[in-house]
Amino acid sequence: MANHQQNPETTVHRHEEIQRKLALKEERKHHNVSFVMMILLTIVAFFAIWSDKISDSFAVLFILTLAVVQVFFQLYVWMHLSHKGHDFPIWGMASGILVAAITVASLMGLIWTS
Amino acid sequence: MNAGERLTDANFPAHPEKATLEGKNKFLGFWLFLGGETVLFATLFGTYLGLRNMHLDGPSGEELFSLPLVFLATMLLLTSSLTSVYAVLSLKQNKVRSLQGWFLVTLLLGLGFLGLEIYEFVHYVHEGHTFTSSAFGSAFYSLVGFHGAHVLFGVLWITTLLARNWNRGITLSNAPKYYLFALYWHFVDVVWVFIFTVVYLMGKVG
Repeated sequence: MANHQQNPETTVHRHEEIQRKLALKEERKHHNVSFVMMILLTIVAFFAIWSDKISDSFAVLFILTLAVVQVFFQLYVWMHLSHKGHDFPIWGMASGILVAAITVASLMGLIWTS
Repeated sequence: MNAGERLTDANFPAHPEKATLEGKNKFLGFWLFLGGETVLFATLFGTYLGLRNMHLDGPSGEELFSLPLVFLATMLLLTSSLTSVYAVLSLKQNKVRSLQGWFLVTLLLGLGFLGLEIYEFVHYVHEGHTFTSSAFGSAFYSLVGFHGAHVLFGVLWITTLLARNWNRGITLSNAPKYYLFALYWHFVDVVWVFIFTVVYLMGKVG
């Protein structure tokens, strides 16, 4: 029976290893779901314009929304922003996106008023 | 432990890309860089949105753009984003051959994208749409060309990274480098999603 008795440390180590493998498997699943979603969103955006059945102003808003959704998939799933220890990156990207939005808005505003 | 030493399954850390101070610094610095890049591309997007209808005598975007070609380019870049995230999964499992394989696929897809873009630009130049033909031309080539230059830089980056570390396994020194390349590649893909939407799809509805 002595053979069956495992050193508690090895058991903990093995347990951690299994946990890690399961986590990676879960992560791979998330990546695949994210990929399928991004492909689908791209196809939907493409056909929203290609089919010419949706009014132009609505189609523009619609495809811009789809693009924003895709960006969240990229940032949170593929670039791991949803993982622990990403507070600084989230603040960095959030402030970057904020300044980017202000930049585009003011450039558009400048053109409209001139 | 020496950072250049090949990691084994026994001593492999949970986050090899952030296991050293240098790795942590690279990780934070690179995210800050991506925040800055976002602003940089925003200026180009803003300029393009302002000038996209000023095409003078040259062809307009609606006449030029071929959506199926751009759709194919989008698919190539999206797939390459997936393969680079698979490489990061291999990195976390200390599977260096699988990491190299996935990054090679990423590299090929990136080259395919560049090929399509060069073909597209050559076609446009023949149609009379050049950098100096109109404000629309300047804004278009600045934005899309700048993104293409990012893809080209990524292709050169991963080529040198793979070649330099081909027989080194995964070490604490090269794990952050692989990881950051994947982040960069995803970011380039994010920018493309917006180019596809704002330049090409919105170009078709005027």
